[in-house]
Amino acid sequence: MRWRAALACLLVALAGLGGGTATGGAAERLGFNREVRPILSENCFRCHGPDQNQRKAKLRLDQRDVALAVGAFEPGQPEASELVRRIFSDDPEEQMPPPEANHRLTGPQKEILKRWIAEGAEYEPHWAFVAPQRPSVPAVASAPANPIDAFILEALDHAGLAPSPEADRRTLIRRLSLDLTGLPPAADDVEAFARSRDPRAYEQLVRKYLASPHYGERLAIPWLDLVRYADTVGFHNDVPIRVWPYRDYVIDAFNRNLPFDQFTREQLAGDLLPGATSRQRVASGYNRLHRISAEGGIQDKEYLAKYAADRVRTTATTWLGATMACAECHDHKFDPFTNRDFYRFAAIFSDLKEKGAYNLSGGFTPENLSEETLFASPAQEEQMKAFDTGIAARRRELEAVTDDQLAASRSEWEKSTLALADAGQLAWTAQHPLAATSPEGTPLAIEEDDSVVPGGRNPESDTYIVTVPAPLERITAARVEVMQDARYPGDEVSRGGSAFFISEIEVLGSSGRGAPFRPLRVTVARASSRHEAGYPPAAVIDGNPATALSFVRKVGGGIALQLAEPFAGGPEARLTVKIHGAKQHRFQNLGRFRIALHALPEPDAYPESVPDAVLKALRVPAAERKPAEGKEVAEYYRTVAPALASMRERLAAAVKQRDSVALTIPTVPVSRSVEPRPIRVLARANWMDESGEIAEPGVPQFLRQLQPAAGGRASRLDLANWLVAPDNPLTARTFVNRLWKNFFGAGLTRTLEDLGSQGEWPSHPALLDWLAVEFREQGWDIKHMVELIVTSRTYRQSSQPVPALLEADPLNRLLARQVPLRLEAEIVRDNALAISGLLVDRVGGESAKPYQPAGFYSTLNFPKREYVPDDGEGLYRRGLYTHWQRTFLHPSLAAFDAPAREECTANRAVSNTPLQALVLLNDPTYVEAARAFAERVLREGGWTFRGKLTWAFRHALARPPTTAETGILQELFNRQRARYRAEEPAARELAAVGAAPVTSKAGAADLAAWTAVTRAVLNLHETITRN
Amino acid sequence: MKPFEQHLQDLTRRAFLSRVATGLGSIALGSLLNPGLLRAAAAPAGSNERWRGIIDPLHHPAKIKRVIYLYQAGGPSHLETFDYKPKLAAMHGQGMPESFTKGQQIAQLQGKELKCHAPQFPFERYGKSGQQICSLFPQIGSVADDICIVRSMFTEQINHDPAHTFMNTGSVIPGRPSMGSWLTYGLGAETEDLPGFVVLTSAGRGGQMQPIASRQWHSGYLPSRFQGVKFQSNGDPVLYLKNPPGVTRRDEGEIVDAVNQLNRVQHDAVHDPEILARISQYEMAFRMQAGVPGLMDIAQEPAAVLEQYGAQPGDGSFASNCLLARRLAEKGVRFIQLYHRDWDHHDDVSHVKFKAEEVDRPTAALIRDLKERGLFDETLIIWGGEFGRTPMAQGKGRDHHIKGFSLMLAGGGIKGGVTYGSTDELGYEAVENRVSVHDLHATMLHLFGIDHTRLTYRYQGRNFRLTDVAGEVVQGILA
Repeated sequence: MRWRAALACLLVALAGLGGGTATGGAAERLGFNREVRPILSENCFRCHGPDQNQRKAKLRLDQRDVALAVGAFEPGQPEASELVRRIFSDDPEEQMPPPEANHRLTGPQKEILKRWIAEGAEYEPHWAFVAPQRPSVPAVASAPANPIDAFILEALDHAGLAPSPEADRRTLIRRLSLDLTGLPPAADDVEAFARSRDPRAYEQLVRKYLASPHYGERLAIPWLDLVRYADTVGFHNDVPIRVWPYRDYVIDAFNRNLPFDQFTREQLAGDLLPGATSRQRVASGYNRLHRISAEGGIQDKEYLAKYAADRVRTTATTWLGATMACAECHDHKFDPFTNRDFYRFAAIFSDLKEKGAYNLSGGFTPENLSEETLFASPAQEEQMKAFDTGIAARRRELEAVTDDQLAASRSEWEKSTLALADAGQLAWTAQHPLAATSPEGTPLAIEEDDSVVPGGRNPESDTYIVTVPAPLERITAARVEVMQDARYPGDEVSRGGSAFFISEIEVLGSSGRGAPFRPLRVTVARASSRHEAGYPPAAVIDGNPATALSFVRKVGGGIALQLAEPFAGGPEARLTVKIHGAKQHRFQNLGRFRIALHALPEPDAYPESVPDAVLKALRVPAAERKPAEGKEVAEYYRTVAPALASMRERLAAAVKQRDSVALTIPTVPVSRSVEPRPIRVLARANWMDESGEIAEPGVPQFLRQLQPAAGGRASRLDLANWLVAPDNPLTARTFVNRLWKNFFGAGLTRTLEDLGSQGEWPSHPALLDWLAVEFREQGWDIKHMVELIVTSRTYRQSSQPVPALLEADPLNRLLARQVPLRLEAEIVRDNALAISGLLVDRVGGESAKPYQPAGFYSTLNFPKREYVPDDGEGLYRRGLYTHWQRTFLHPSLAAFDAPAREECTANRAVSNTPLQALVLLNDPTYVEAARAFAERVLREGGWTFRGKLTWAFRHALARPPTTAETGILQELFNRQRARYRAEEPAARELAAVGAAPVTSKAGAADLAAWTAVTRAVLNLHETITRN
Repeated sequence: MKPFEQHLQDLTRRAFLSRVATGLGSIALGSLLNPGLLRAAAAPAGSNERWRGIIDPLHHPAKIKRVIYLYQAGGPSHLETFDYKPKLAAMHGQGMPESFTKGQQIAQLQGKELKCHAPQFPFERYGKSGQQICSLFPQIGSVADDICIVRSMFTEQINHDPAHTFMNTGSVIPGRPSMGSWLTYGLGAETEDLPGFVVLTSAGRGGQMQPIASRQWHSGYLPSRFQGVKFQSNGDPVLYLKNPPGVTRRDEGEIVDAVNQLNRVQHDAVHDPEILARISQYEMAFRMQAGVPGLMDIAQEPAAVLEQYGAQPGDGSFASNCLLARRLAEKGVRFIQLYHRDWDHHDDVSHVKFKAEEVDRPTAALIRDLKERGLFDETLIIWGGEFGRTPMAQGKGRDHHIKGFSLMLAGGGIKGGVTYGSTDELGYEAVENRVSVHDLHATMLHLFGIDHTRLTYRYQGRNFRLTDVAGEVVQGILA
């Protein structure tokens, strides 16, 4: 028996609830949607429903005319109805549902079906598939100001129940603050509100919290679950991907109260909007948030199909509350979504430029990810355009010099180059180091192959100083060659983590015999290996320690440093190369490397400077060269011709200037529209089957169809407009239903992800429709809806139940009270950090890496990874900024039910486990927070134990402690202080947990004993619950 | 099983009545949506009552109480373990007949020439049953009469990540519960001090070390209390198990005690049963802090036992994990899953010999040990990976292969000394008595006394099962 049917029975037994429903009928007449459809859907539709391939006996019971045509029943005549005969039959051959189905009708269910037929077997379209109309607000005796209360009170009246009194003010402000900002209220605000006699005090608080920048963070959390926002690719090697600007877009959109219809358009089709702004294009990154793979051996088509299906599932759940996922292999069993609908929906997105198998096309490159530069402001965009204009001018200047003008010097160069080639001096020559030292004292072994191998303890940041002979006559460049070595972790090029970072490289020269080393100016740095976005070679010569170079493919490669002027080498001459690690990338020092020198101008980094093809052409006498060979030589010469040197340098400087600014601007994957791929209907989702018809873009066939502009192909923008059109029955309901859950722990329909036939009948259908229409008609104004909800009396009720209420409505479906809610994973963290005073509440930016147990990523690979926690602010940022590693989500977040975000999640589970206890007790984040909190207590809490504890409770729980609580904690404090007085080193060990320095002047034992008390407070059920 | 909703309603009613009778107060919303939470909430304050599962009573008598799943991750070659293919040896170096491969999905051999690659090691007959097993595995051979070899497995996913997910959850879409989660949801565990679903990992040498995602032991849409808990061989055996520095067990106990007292005070004021659940979770956490480190310390085992497994305390090896698996089994853990990584032999399949060194002895030792302790007949041991490897060469190695591969099973309810099913003469496709991943799951649940079609959870509007809409119990391997 479905529980809602159980509830219905319970309520009917109590008072006969029936008013306030969309069907609105009197209690004596059955409502098809409320009473009948759930029974048919659960027990009959599987074989007699929308799925044409599963349909038995050509009977479908979800459509009245078909059921009548087949003779399933005679309206008004249950005795003459086949359906009634079958459901009451004991004959296994006749009985429905058949004995082998795992479905049995209960006695009352059979009676309902019989009665329904007796009453005429009337159908109603499924409620959620009909556009909501604004119901009239019920007139109730107490005439509430807020329409929400009218709907709630009406149902309570019917059930003979009364609402609960308003919660006390301390509970109320803590509830409101946690619900609207995800942070506890400031203690001063609590006291002020508790004392205030201003009748508008509550409304003022609401406005204050709605205007807080943390409001957007709070609302972003469930949205990020839906769109499965995370910081890694998800499949297989699960490497990082930079999409945090999308996350910041979401926070910002909620904060500036971007109307939901526009929020929808920007995410689904921001790139297609006329004159799309940078922000709108970032929003369109929504379409790129699904998991992606570069696992060896995967196939492009297979993964394109996976991504397309994922997008349908996510978009349908998020906007439509529809389980279209069920139609990937076959027609939906319960709702009228066909298999074809699924692929038509997928086809709407088939214009996206994307890859299936990223490994087949070079990996997660900016190009493959359609990354786009994210400008902070139009001014920044203008600045970049100016750089580009300058660069174009420099290029034209270079091109103005013709090859003919260079002919004479080229022929000289050809001769000398051939001579050098014959002498074997065209290549890099490695130099055996004479000395290699580190200011950190790192032992640097010099190996036979001229390489330097750092060993011993790996310091947080290191500098290698290597001196090599400089025997070449004319040295144009030095190269640091990164080499793999199995003694290092991960990809074996870095001493810690998987990547190395170099902030600066300096080159110094001495002619020898005691001549001083003088710095040599380096004009260009080139790398043979592709660099990580944001970590280009230019970083090592920009003099800025905050920028750094890092390679993408961690297989080694060269970094060539071209000198401004050739250095005159000789038998006694020496070069010193200083390689500085990057302080902000702790422990990720370069591993094995060697130094080589070159004699030609502008050499490539690796391995040869004059390309083979050029050399081959050079060996053909000029007169005999084919045009292609001539061109090869001439073009290459332009890159080294002394006559062009100053122009090249100006160009390089312009590029460098642009790059150094570009470095500070993140890039992010966005949607880019290209020629659409054909999408086929795949039988049983088999991507290898090419026999299915091509699906034209479209929405489920039973709803109003898309009307593409200019009669062309339907686009993502058409879809977005359709979703927020006034006649769309699902979008507004889906959104307000989820929003309701934020404030009452459950939606009006609890199945947030399914408003379809199998979804739950809403507890207050008319209220749901009223809210949906209000939302739409008030311009999709989210803050308006939030304000409506939190200012209602329904919201402000006490969450504490009375026995009579429990008896009447144990599920609290009628909302005669509020409910206590366990804080969400991120907010458990935020709350503790805020209470302790450690919280860094900066909004947005790169994801943060708080403490995490060592070895947690041990089964990740390609590359192997070691988690390096941030230092400073990164340790204390809000939970929603935590680096979201999809295959290994931070264990403290995972313990409190944060989803991995591999898949769209509309409803987080709420569990209560021993692992949660272990996190709050022992995760250094919480131990450090308790210690910092204890320091505040000692500093600001007054002189007496009672005064201090009161201060602590006011900050943690917005209330003073009771006598019983004070007694329990006084005893804990006394015992712990005695114990730590006897063993002060233990007290200091406890205080040393975490990176935040101890600033308290209190004695070690006092601090440790107070830390025991604050640990207890942070572990309380009440601390992680909003009442 | 009663229908889920009925069960929920009964629980609601029972809890509700007891609460009303004792005046204890409210029923939390979350509890009512999930009977697991409700059951915890319904337990008297501080009691140790554990989750006993949604299946009550069992659908039919159970043969087993637990599973030890020796998961060989990376795709073990069936041709170098359990599937004897002399014809493939005879055709070594010749083109793979197109009749086998045409139109079939392949992984890294896409667009390459497909040539037969002979089994790299001889097979021998072992035991009275004369089962044919690769000679690299003489110890497993020595228990040949206790094990059942299935040579006719097939799967649907040809790459590691989705194939692991399919093997563990019966679906490639993430967010579905893994089999261990289903079992603890269905049956609970027989332990009060440990999670019901424990995961251990180890690594070896010789192959490509493919990553393993925590998705493989995730509870998906089931409550996270049913999630597998990974025990680590280095650092804290369970994350955050250790007291903070400067805090002794006694100190920690005083804090837990104060927290529980304060929570009880709070409960008496607001009557929220979630608080009672919270109290018992703190008690269990505190017991785990005491119990788990000792349990994980195999140095306590007699030298002869360590020798039998080839385990060295603290080495984090597969052998040590096998011994830990036995210790966890004794404590009543329901589902014990050991991942041994590094079976991905693209470059050189003769490196299976390194794997054999790592797994042959401990696998056999575990079987013998369980028998000696009387646990064998109530434990199902499964040995196998996410797919097999191609009969075709990839250099000296073999590529991923999904059309046919082998598994090994032993223990309660399983016929020993039997080889079930077969692949074709080249070891390409399972042809006789084919066994799908869903069939394996159905059979496993069957041994626990569960009808796999009746272990369901309502999610997104329908009743989901581990076996999706498929799965047949493999009667041929049942004793």
